[in-house]
Amino acid sequence: MNVTRHTELEDTRLEAEVLVVGSGAGGATTAATLAEAGFDVLVVEEGAAVRQGEVVPFSLDQMDHQYRNGGVTAAVGFPSIAYTEGCCVGGGTEINSGLYRRPPEEVLERWRRRHGIVGFSTEELYAICDEVERELSVQPVPGAQTAPSEAMRRGAARLGWRHEEIPRWMTYHGAGDARSGRRQSMSETYLPRARAAGARVLAGIRVDRLVLDDGRAVRALVTTADGRPGTIDAAHVFVCGGAIQTPALLQRSGLRHRIGRSLAVHPTVKLAARFDEDVNVADDVPVYQVKEFAPDLSFGGSASGPGLAALALSDSWARFGPAIDDWRRLAVYYAAITSEGRGAVRALPGLRDPLVTYRLTRRDRELLGRGLARLALLMLEAGATAVYPSYRGAPVVRSRADLATLTGTFAAGRASVMTVHLCSTVPLGTATDSFGRVHGTANVYVNDASLLPDAPGVNPQGSVMAVAIRNARHFVETVERVS
Amino acid sequence: MPTFPPPGLVEEFCDHVLRHDFPDLPSERRRSTVAFTVRRVAGLPSPMKLAVTVVAVAVGALGRVAGTHRLVQLLAARPLPVLGEYVRLVRSLAYAYVWDTWPDTTHTGRPAAAATPAGEARPSVAVSSA
Repeated sequence: MNVTRHTELEDTRLEAEVLVVGSGAGGATTAATLAEAGFDVLVVEEGAAVRQGEVVPFSLDQMDHQYRNGGVTAAVGFPSIAYTEGCCVGGGTEINSGLYRRPPEEVLERWRRRHGIVGFSTEELYAICDEVERELSVQPVPGAQTAPSEAMRRGAARLGWRHEEIPRWMTYHGAGDARSGRRQSMSETYLPRARAAGARVLAGIRVDRLVLDDGRAVRALVTTADGRPGTIDAAHVFVCGGAIQTPALLQRSGLRHRIGRSLAVHPTVKLAARFDEDVNVADDVPVYQVKEFAPDLSFGGSASGPGLAALALSDSWARFGPAIDDWRRLAVYYAAITSEGRGAVRALPGLRDPLVTYRLTRRDRELLGRGLARLALLMLEAGATAVYPSYRGAPVVRSRADLATLTGTFAAGRASVMTVHLCSTVPLGTATDSFGRVHGTANVYVNDASLLPDAPGVNPQGSVMAVAIRNARHFVETVERVS
Repeated sequence: MPTFPPPGLVEEFCDHVLRHDFPDLPSERRRSTVAFTVRRVAGLPSPMKLAVTVVAVAVGALGRVAGTHRLVQLLAARPLPVLGEYVRLVRSLAYAYVWDTWPDTTHTGRPAAAATPAGEARPSVAVSSA
């Protein structure tokens, strides 16, 4: 896709009718919807434009080029929770697992009821999901599954646990096996659509803050990646930087009411499972998820290259370390919970990045331990000969008898807890009106994962896109344009 | 302009952690891993970087009194709050780099027989999350 890089800009004083900050699942869909409706749209993205295939998926190289802070980010707490954010043209859609789920109907109902969101009908949102699924070619893997994916399915089937293949937004070539997919991320779909309709997409531009005058954003102060300051004047601003950067930008701009206080995530704990045959797949993730205990608990597979496998073993390296000698027989899996805890994002004066915190509740901690034990059982049933849970002091689980030791020794404070699903920091209907306009402002809108009122319990990209398109369409129908 | 955390502090500590955890890791690979870790720590989000700076300075001071090698041994045996998180950060970066770069490294850091010559990086293969 054709993107203008910051180095190509001669003038860093820009103007647009609509400024979209961020180019991920929220920003790209917003830009396409508005540009196709005839608005003059400028998308600015802090990260770089990286074409698919330029970096190996799930590699350190990818983390260098497409993740914020090289992928080393954490929400402070006891324990701290490691998380990752995309920072590139296309945002998180360029680096995530590509698994797609619609927002469950009961989740939409909960959001409507608890947050008083008006005009939020399941029919409308699911009609948008239909469009999104066509646009992104959402489909199951047509050919063979990978070995770690098949192991997950096998274990669940033997236990009689409910499990399903999660479709992905991929197109497949050749035999259509799981690893032949081409990601239909934002840089392949909605951003080209936006550009075709006249939108400009600029990479390497960070928005430092918005200048507000009597509740109206009149200017964005920006810095290019090579350090040049600039300004963008716009009649309307859509902030779509994701659940961490969006509240941070709003706070830096003086907007703090109910913003950044309700971070929700799906915390996960991991284990490495060793099999008698080669199972390791470095550049892909399993597509099966086990939903027997949903929504509280779900199980799935992670990218498992040797670096990640070593990471999964590192908490108990003295005992687990020898397993890395045979990493081709290792695969990494996770247990994710729907958390009752909440976190916060705070922009601090003088610091470039926000402070992110998260507090797990007692129920969350217990659930993580229970989830890890059930996941270990699942792996044994799948044929694993040894299971290595990722917490300090964990036992090697070789049989059901060892599961009691796991349960007895697990403590969340000793575990490597992480997440990739961040949301709810500017909740729809609470920090904004029912369509994403920030309270106390006339022309500042949020349209990304920050809006989801709580963690949906499924991969959230589908929910983000549906809500963002809905809000953008409402804007098109209702805004008074300045000639 | 000073950089935070001071690279020398992280470098020395990381070097000792690697010597402790991977006694057979060739020195060129150790140096490369330390350089990677220092670079990634320097790129942390600013609040994390501030916190790591405070801990790194404290660890550096403790190391001068008790000896960094002994301190690393102590932290490996008994992970302490806060200090333990620093060790975990350094380890996670270093472990990911070693096996991402030289997948056929054994758990003691020794290059496997068929591995590439010491210090010669293989193409990046994998590291990330769910």
